[in-house]
Amino acid sequence: MRFVSFRPAASVLATTALLLIATAPSQAQTRAETLRYVTGSAVNTLDPNIPGSTRESFALSMSTYDRLVAFGRKQLNGKWVFDLDTITGELAESYDVSPDGLKLTFRLRKDAKFQDGSPVTADDVKWSLDRCVTAPILGKAQLLTGSLTSADQFKVIDPLTIEVTLPKPDKLALPNLATVYPMIINSKLAKEHATTDDPWATAWLKEHTAGSGAYVVETFKPGEQVILKRDEAWNRGTANKPAFFKRVIIQSVPEPATRANLVERGDADLVVDLQASDVQSLEAKGKLKVISTPQYNAITYVSMNNQIPPFDNVNVRRAIAYALPYDDMFKAAMFGRGAPLFGASWPDGKPLNGIYPFQQPVKLDFDKAREYLKAAGLPEGFSTTFSFNVGQSSTAEPMAALVKESLGKIGIKVDIQKLPDAQMSTQINEKKLPFYTEGIVAWLPSTDYFYRNFYTGNQRWNYSSINNPELAEIAQGARFEPDKAKYEEAGRKLNAMHFDLMPQIMLWQPNQDAVMAASVEGYTYEFHRQIDYRDVSRK
Amino acid sequence: MKTSLGATMVRAGRRLLSSLPALFGVLVFTFLLMRVLPGDPAVFFASGPNAGKEEIEQIRKQMGLDRSVPEQLVFYLSDIGRGNLGRSMMTGQPVLKDLRERLPASLELTFTALLIALIFAVPLGVVAALKPGSVVDHGVRLFCALGVCVPTFVSGLLLIYVFYYMLGLAPDPTGRIDVFTSLPPSRTGFLSIDFLLAGDVEGWWAACRQLILPAVSMALFVIAPLARITRASMLVSLGSDFVRTARSVGLSWRKVVVTYALRNAILPVITIAGIVFSTMLGANVLVEKVFSWPGVASYALDALLSSDYAPVQGFVLLMATLFVLVNLVVDICYGIADPRVSIG
Repeated sequence: MRFVSFRPAASVLATTALLLIATAPSQAQTRAETLRYVTGSAVNTLDPNIPGSTRESFALSMSTYDRLVAFGRKQLNGKWVFDLDTITGELAESYDVSPDGLKLTFRLRKDAKFQDGSPVTADDVKWSLDRCVTAPILGKAQLLTGSLTSADQFKVIDPLTIEVTLPKPDKLALPNLATVYPMIINSKLAKEHATTDDPWATAWLKEHTAGSGAYVVETFKPGEQVILKRDEAWNRGTANKPAFFKRVIIQSVPEPATRANLVERGDADLVVDLQASDVQSLEAKGKLKVISTPQYNAITYVSMNNQIPPFDNVNVRRAIAYALPYDDMFKAAMFGRGAPLFGASWPDGKPLNGIYPFQQPVKLDFDKAREYLKAAGLPEGFSTTFSFNVGQSSTAEPMAALVKESLGKIGIKVDIQKLPDAQMSTQINEKKLPFYTEGIVAWLPSTDYFYRNFYTGNQRWNYSSINNPELAEIAQGARFEPDKAKYEEAGRKLNAMHFDLMPQIMLWQPNQDAVMAASVEGYTYEFHRQIDYRDVSRK
Repeated sequence: MKTSLGATMVRAGRRLLSSLPALFGVLVFTFLLMRVLPGDPAVFFASGPNAGKEEIEQIRKQMGLDRSVPEQLVFYLSDIGRGNLGRSMMTGQPVLKDLRERLPASLELTFTALLIALIFAVPLGVVAALKPGSVVDHGVRLFCALGVCVPTFVSGLLLIYVFYYMLGLAPDPTGRIDVFTSLPPSRTGFLSIDFLLAGDVEGWWAACRQLILPAVSMALFVIAPLARITRASMLVSLGSDFVRTARSVGLSWRKVVVTYALRNAILPVITIAGIVFSTMLGANVLVEKVFSWPGVASYALDALLSSDYAPVQGFVLLMATLFVLVNLVVDICYGIADPRVSIG
């Protein structure tokens, strides 16, 4: 004990004195070739399939593993975003979809190697996809949305060709293979670490990578940082070149103000999750590059439980939709950063298109709100609670205060409930919250996917607990609709129903604000809402 | 001295044994407390884009939550008996490994902070006691009040703002060491010691620079209680008969104050320092957060927020054990400061 406590004493005395004199920071030479990315959360597993894995883990796996295919990118209002409609080969050199849409054939690149030097074969692909649909991991539920459910669907034709068979022509089968989970694993290496209890080596892969990705994990400290080293043999980037940065440091810095300081001082190169106020001031200073992309696959809602009175009455839901101070909420919570989903004008009273999410023609209108309350038989209003996650309090707290104030004007008494994250998830899952705010993200943002996952069934993501057979039928039907015009028509119908039934109120799509050093280029908004380290380079 | 040391060790061992029931109580109490808290960890951890009922059930099973509470308790206790604190859902690592990696970080920070605090607090307290009611006394009181009323995360952010952001004197406030510095072989887990053992002066300096700001922001907060106690017990000691006698026989002022008064006044300071240390270790969570310090307190807070039972339980057990140890060390220090006191 004595030894331990007295050494730091000496060191502290010395340092306190020296701090005043010595100031030169020691900079390593490799700085220009290193990307230092700071984030609030942490990488907690090297295999994103493990239940409980974080978004940072998703992003990490995109760079350490390859998939058969990848999303392309496109420009949206001058900013690069992922493109759901362009699927390019990653490990697959090319792929074919049979005319009936039931067979996908992938031909692998001949030169693709795993990080241990062994070639990527169709057997590895089959083992990895089998794992994804059979093992008790997250990939299972994801691939289900693309009709990929059983190992029988994957067939090795020859060492470089693999065939995927579908029971129905499913639009989402191919894009699903580009998502985070169906990564291609070095099956030989993984099998060496599999046990009888754990035939898919989930325990081992959690702490080790066996991929063919652009980066090799150098050090992994769960909850603190991960350091990646470039795989020089990897050539699946743009122009068949390795990734740009030699090293990538992914570091957890929980305090958002510190993250902002780090990037402003030039010690960090890139950060995505800053507070809106910090982003605004950094943007105003003009020293850094700020790329703000509305998260076009994410939505923030005010949800009402359609099964709990009085929210089971559609007129109550409509009344609330007209009593929310949208503009003030958008300013207070988001500093106006994002894409609003309110205040549209529908000239002929019909949805403009079949895309979800869409801008709804609602705005603050107390007269209309009062009318609807009267129609619901509650002219005097009622009392309820409005809940939000502690984790989201920086945006939800000001919003909740405005909701309370505004609804108070039409006689609805609101009690604000701030819940710890785990408690909030539990209550949502048990469908106990009457009125609350939540946000959602879909990796594959197609209209039918949104409606099927968020407005049907008795599962957690059906936040409003809406149970409308007609809506469910249209959404299910649209899934396998090959005709583009008919699909669009179904989308319009669903959107019209959404506005009419008002199961929950869409508020906005928050911005992803990426703040980076002026020299960093190539940032693309990705479906997993994190950085793909392969995208970026330094001038 | 040698025989008394042996006797002290025996007594210390007995003391440790007698604290086992208390530790057991803490163990069971924390376990039950975590189960009473609202919020289902399985639902929380199954919050991926596609986690449905099946995934929730699977996580529940993985965490052992599918069994009844008494059953879980029995399993938990037998696991503890075998030195297994369970697995954290957050980091995916065994809790024991996480704690072992993070405890040195917390200890290093807390020791440094406590030392800084003592280095400032004891002289301040003594000076204040020598001239009670004077300008100096009031000045010390003001300084202490300022230190206590500014929460650690505020002083932490302020220090970062001034020394890192504005002046650029301090290194970036993220973790224990600059990310570009390679680490020394881990021997004690205390970076400032490991670097010295490895003979890497540059690394040692980097680690120390990183340590200063968080340690100072923690120290500011605890200077007040330490200085106040020093002042109070110095006052008592200065007014006592033996100091008057020492003065009257014409001993030097320095000898009277340091050898006679301070040595007698230091006992309560040791007690308070022990308590302060234990509280700091758990309560420095905000400092750890602000400085991204990979310590145990921020680990436990994250775990608590996500209802990750195993790390919270492990942390409480660790804190209880440390508290017992710190008390023991305080008692031993007592014996050294005043041979009349023996632990028993």
